[in-house]
Amino acid sequence: MREFLLTVFSLSTLQGAVRAGTPLLLGTLGEVYAERSGVLNLGVEGMMIMGSVTAFGVAYTTGNIWLAILLAALAGGLLALIHAFTSITLRVNQVVSGLAITMLGLGVSGILGKRYIGQPPGVRLGAINIPVLSDLPIIGPLFFRYDPMVYISILLVVVLWFVLYRTRWGLSLRSVGESPATADALGVNVVRVRYLAVFFGGMMAGVGGAYLSVVYAPAWIEGMTAGAGWIVIALTIFAMWDPVRALLGAYLFGGVRVLQYRLQDLGVSPPLLNMLPFIFTILVLWMSAGEAMRKHIGAPAALMQPYVREERG
Amino acid sequence: MRKKFWIVLTVAVVGVLLLTACPRPTPAPTEPAEATPAEAAAPGMKACFIYVGPIGDYGWSHAHEQGRLYVEKQFDWLETAYAESVPEADVDRFLDRFVVEEGCDVVFTTSFGFMDGTVAAAEKYPDTLFFHCSGYKRAPNLGTYMADFYQVYYLNGLMAGALTKTGKVGYVAAHPIPEVVRHINAFTLGVREVNPEATVDVRWLFAWYDPAAAREAAEALIDAGADVLAFTEDSPAVIEVGQEYTEKGQQIYTFSHYSPMGDFGPDTAVSGQLVDWGIIYEDILMKAYTGVYNNTNLQDVDYWWLLREKAVLLGARFGEPINPKFEDELKAVTVTDPLLGEMSVYDLVFKRIEQMEDPAMLFDPFTGPIYDQDGTLRLQAGQRATYDELLTIDWFVEGNVGTIPR
Repeated sequence: MREFLLTVFSLSTLQGAVRAGTPLLLGTLGEVYAERSGVLNLGVEGMMIMGSVTAFGVAYTTGNIWLAILLAALAGGLLALIHAFTSITLRVNQVVSGLAITMLGLGVSGILGKRYIGQPPGVRLGAINIPVLSDLPIIGPLFFRYDPMVYISILLVVVLWFVLYRTRWGLSLRSVGESPATADALGVNVVRVRYLAVFFGGMMAGVGGAYLSVVYAPAWIEGMTAGAGWIVIALTIFAMWDPVRALLGAYLFGGVRVLQYRLQDLGVSPPLLNMLPFIFTILVLWMSAGEAMRKHIGAPAALMQPYVREERG
Repeated sequence: MRKKFWIVLTVAVVGVLLLTACPRPTPAPTEPAEATPAEAAAPGMKACFIYVGPIGDYGWSHAHEQGRLYVEKQFDWLETAYAESVPEADVDRFLDRFVVEEGCDVVFTTSFGFMDGTVAAAEKYPDTLFFHCSGYKRAPNLGTYMADFYQVYYLNGLMAGALTKTGKVGYVAAHPIPEVVRHINAFTLGVREVNPEATVDVRWLFAWYDPAAAREAAEALIDAGADVLAFTEDSPAVIEVGQEYTEKGQQIYTFSHYSPMGDFGPDTAVSGQLVDWGIIYEDILMKAYTGVYNNTNLQDVDYWWLLREKAVLLGARFGEPINPKFEDELKAVTVTDPLLGEMSVYDLVFKRIEQMEDPAMLFDPFTGPIYDQDGTLRLQAGQRATYDELLTIDWFVEGNVGTIPR
């Protein structure tokens, strides 16, 4: 037991949890905003992988990592706009549209990425060394030895939390997700808010994907997100649509991921460990399935409901 | 008006995406070789390939695809077609399509899980030749083939044993199946031949292809003290982890697998396993074309190609068996072999290649005495593991840490 705890709470496990959790965190932050506006986007996996291939391609060709991440955001955002158009403007079933986006993204990224297979990335984003702080015992490795994207994602958590709860924009966003008719009556442009939220969600998913291909892996391999997009969707619910809880959830999932391989030599059954993230995901989805439960944990009331001005609900 | 704007915008976005997606001038299967003049000159042959993964996996399916491209270039009478990412349950439909609609003369199915589907198809289409990779069921018009790595893993094990300073070697493994167990065992036999105290710590991914998982497993192994890493899975993630640690000042030695991954870790990748399916496909197709193989005599055609046939090679890059960067380190470690006498590990590796490439295969890693993890003698002194034993191996040799999950 002691060994078990030592492994679980070892420095390198915690470090690994943060890095493995960062792409999930980025994607979840985006999905939190999209769902807060009332649009469920099941296309996260597709948008993430488009981000991965775009980032890798740009980094490989230009050698500029920041341009790569920026364009990955754009790629994710553009793909999300398709979802926005179908689900907000055309008001089709959001589940179907989202799934289509996932399939589209997986397919298109496969075609675009053909030429990058087996290529090492031109550049990569390594851990930054902060003088003094990085060298502190324990605190150094635990807090100050990550790549810049880890810090940017944490900063985003703070900013997005603030915007969501303390600004007029955030209020509009939340009201659109809770009661679009009321928001509309108060002069909020429901369609515009939803489009922006979905677009932003796509951008964040794109950045999450970019993290995988130019920071975490770093390489392009077809289908490299390997289900991360689906974990993001579960995490969004787990986080109860809150950016700060998203941070905790993402690192927790990251931790479960890295522990799989650390607990194997302690005799824990590998198949069982392998199932952990998914058992976790199922538990979360199951907990949130009931209507009463959904109200209780604070799901946006108008989630998945298309808005039409004439039909008051 | 607004609505119109959004429609235009979306159409534009979709258009741009499609444009970037479509007109890549990638070399499609339609090569000049199969243009009409050639067809008129001699009767052609069509070979079709069914892959389980995307040809972009940079592992298994990618390597088979390289083989297809090779034979297509090699023979001007050959036309090829392929299907990638075919789910194992769907192989029947693809086999029907390839035989009935595409008129394939020879069909290659390249995953163990395609076995029963291929057997059924061979019965259904007695005039077509089938070859199934990595399986064991054959028929008059169905042969099997496999290029196996165990000898190369053993060679890499020798180097791993020489290079480890902590005495702990890590191994990232995909699935607990005989093929992988055989590779791990061969690698460990190599490690222990040079370094009898060293252990090989195995972590299972339960995925052939999950770069993030492979990275996490590799980091876990380094945390547990490993300074040399080998793997059987389809991504270069382990090499990348090795490169990162090495750049940060902690030298990690890695061995690449399946594809030439040396470029992912110039300072860490010592050597590795490489495959060349092309020469197997070349042999099979040439024999099928000239009638040596026909739909009545494949019952006993079972390719099990190793170093001797040059279907597998040592190296992290083609043409470079050992990264020159590590040559001196390997030359500095010496071992004493009862038959060969004292020599450096570097020389031992090349000596072993020579022995295993010999038509008589003068050496095989799976030669007793070999004990399993529990200390039970599995192979008597001087006894070589049989082909069947190698194909079904389900126990770890002495020196492996970890278990084979059932």
